[in-house]
Amino acid sequence: MSFRQIKAYIKRNLNGWWIVSILGAAVILLPILFVFLSIFETPSEHWAHIKEYLVKDYVIETLTLTFITAITTTLLGVSLAWFVTVFDFPGRKILRWALVLPLAVPPYIGAYTYSTMFSYTGVVQVTLRNWGFHPSQDWISLTSMRGAVVVFTLFLYPYVYLVTRSFLERQSASYIENARLLGRNGMSIFFWVAMPICRPAIVGGLSLVVFEVLSDYGVTQYFGLQTVTTAIFKTWFGMYDVNSAMRLAAWLMVILAGFFLIERVLRRHRKYSASTSKSKPLQPIKLGSVKGTAVLLFGMVVLAAAFAVPILQLIVWATWTYQDVWNDQFMFFIGRTLYTAAVSTVIIMLLSLIVGSATRSRSWGSALLSRTVIAGYSIPGAIIAIGVLGVFLSLDQVYGEVYRLLGGKGTPVVLSLTAAMLIFGYVIRFMATGYNAVEVGFEKTGTRYSEASRLLGRSRLYTFWRVDLPLIKGAVLSGCILTFVEICKELPLALLLRPFDFETLSTRTYQYANNEQIHEAAIPSLLIIGISFISVYVLHYLDKRWET
Amino acid sequence: MSVVDIDQLEFSYDRKSKPVIQKLCLNIEQGEIVGIVGSSGNGKSTLLRLIAGLEVPSAGVIRINDKTVNDKSTFIQPEHRGVGMVSQDYALFPHMNVASNIAFGLHRMPRKKRQERVQELMELIQLKGYEDRYPHELSGGQQQRVALARTMAPRPSVVLMDEPFSSLDAELKQSIRSELRDIVKAEGMTCLFVTHDQADVEDMSDRYIRLGQ
Ligand SMILES: Nc1ncnc2c1ncn2[C@@H]1O[C@H](COP(=O)(O)OP(=O)(O)OP(=O)(O)O)[C@@H](O)[C@H]1O
Ligand SMILES: [Mg+2]
Repeated sequence: MSFRQIKAYIKRNLNGWWIVSILGAAVILLPILFVFLSIFETPSEHWAHIKEYLVKDYVIETLTLTFITAITTTLLGVSLAWFVTVFDFPGRKILRWALVLPLAVPPYIGAYTYSTMFSYTGVVQVTLRNWGFHPSQDWISLTSMRGAVVVFTLFLYPYVYLVTRSFLERQSASYIENARLLGRNGMSIFFWVAMPICRPAIVGGLSLVVFEVLSDYGVTQYFGLQTVTTAIFKTWFGMYDVNSAMRLAAWLMVILAGFFLIERVLRRHRKYSASTSKSKPLQPIKLGSVKGTAVLLFGMVVLAAAFAVPILQLIVWATWTYQDVWNDQFMFFIGRTLYTAAVSTVIIMLLSLIVGSATRSRSWGSALLSRTVIAGYSIPGAIIAIGVLGVFLSLDQVYGEVYRLLGGKGTPVVLSLTAAMLIFGYVIRFMATGYNAVEVGFEKTGTRYSEASRLLGRSRLYTFWRVDLPLIKGAVLSGCILTFVEICKELPLALLLRPFDFETLSTRTYQYANNEQIHEAAIPSLLIIGISFISVYVLHYLDKRWET
Repeated sequence: MSVVDIDQLEFSYDRKSKPVIQKLCLNIEQGEIVGIVGSSGNGKSTLLRLIAGLEVPSAGVIRINDKTVNDKSTFIQPEHRGVGMVSQDYALFPHMNVASNIAFGLHRMPRKKRQERVQELMELIQLKGYEDRYPHELSGGQQQRVALARTMAPRPSVVLMDEPFSSLDAELKQSIRSELRDIVKAEGMTCLFVTHDQADVEDMSDRYIRLGQ
């Protein structure tokens, strides 16, 4: 590409939409760059200590946790997906749908619920003692690594389940049928046919699980694990050492990149999906009553453990603490959570719409731009938070200088002490949720209506308001809902970036749980689960509309 | 005076494949009606899109009404070219009724005039009484006629039409064709249309161009 072509390209595309988009992308990229650049700064004195004694343990613990969780979620998610697609048994339809529900329970809520239930005074041990059993504490209590793995598996398996299920439903029919015709039976088809052809799908779901585990703070912190993410928090909250926190964040990025590479390698042979258009749905095998009941029972047990039981427990606790927790101050926190989430969602959707419109015509520039604005989704909240913190602290310095230079008296507003910082973090982290919805909307509508409008002499802006927006309003609405819910649930960013005394539902839950006020945490937890429910429902609804 | 003047135009959808349009020169005079014929897939629609400003050529010059709209350093946006186009798939706005669709490009007219113009066109396309219908409530041929009316409404100096009569039956086709020709001539518009039907060419156009080999 010659210089002149680039110049012509820029000239052609240089309009308000692009300028806003590029500015947006730059602002989004800034904190991420900050984290990277921190590596080249002179490290603080803590860093030598952290590096010498701690980093290795952090990394090992992080990797161990991630690998074990990856294996267990795969086993659970894939086997459930297999049962509901390949077999037919009573209750299959409901189970197929219901197995997604655990996604509505954030793992950190699951963590303290389960660990309390299995503690000495929890319902499980109390019941066992009433029945005359006295199991040893080591054996029954859910703590440290074991607790974290169990909790992550229970609440994250749906990612693997969902992706694998839709792959099996849409693309596997002919392979499985042929294997059957070749005389293979269930187990052998599962291991030798289904698992290999599902590999790209499994890896896709698994990468979401790995990402959640790597970015988690709530669960690992509660179970006392020493991961890189918890270390980031400790260096910031314990020592106010942003530089070391950023270096740890950079380490986390390296681990993430490593997993990303593994993912690429494992998904290399994706050619299987070439036959999508011709694939027919899989015809499930009817199971006999014994086997059918066994499969149904298995699904129900998982569902009970990952959804019904913790929610029932939370409801019981909520009834105990209702009067103490539900007061004016709590209402205030709810209002604030919703308000902050709403403001962030509006910013995200506006930026998404602008960038989405700017990048509708395919070119290298638009591809780059759309990749950039959604970068935050593949970066753990803690890293974004640290980057944002770095940016705001620097901004405060600059702003302070300017303020004094202009003869301002007293202390200037400290930007890093306002909610702007948190909202900025949310926007970076969840931009992709809104943007992807908008992009899907635009893709489905195509460009022909906008072209027709432009040819009738209407400006880009008018076309946007009167043609594009009405046509994609469904997609925009679902993007809004999903983004809003994600923000309401979010924990690590909120913990790191909230101003002093600023509480959201999730940080409130976290505070209660960490102050050993587990029962008090039940009400905010249930609210979060309720809000998450909406997004599970919306996804389900979209999926259904998509199929018809 | 030439209204559309194309010189050495070149275009390809992606850099690797062979160009869809290569070294094309074309000159259309004021008030001419020109048909474009050629086998499927040889770039007829693409040519119209290039003139309209919906695609960017890799080389060559396009002038409309003696104004350069496209060369190495210029690119005039579609809404400023004064070109109307009926696309192959009509692209009627699904969220607007027939009358709003037709009135869409009439934003420079006062309301009264706008309504008159819409009525005029509804008569031309023989769809009086269908003003409040939505596009999905119309047949293919009716949709095509509405698309035609929508494009003609603002009286563009150049009208591009991509197979404008393909969904019409023979009788309707003939009547619309001759009326359209009269209007185009009366308003002094210049028209470039793609067709597969030799009768269209004979009935409507002053001359025709064969694209491709
Ligand atoms: N968006 C696109 N991306 C890539 N290639 C395209 C695209 N649109 C068209 N083509 C290719 O460019 C060539 C010309 O297409 P065009 O639509 O201009 O043909 P046409 O002459 O209008 O055909 P028809 O008479 O069937 O409408 C075709 O070979 C087509 O495959
Ligand atoms: Mg065509």
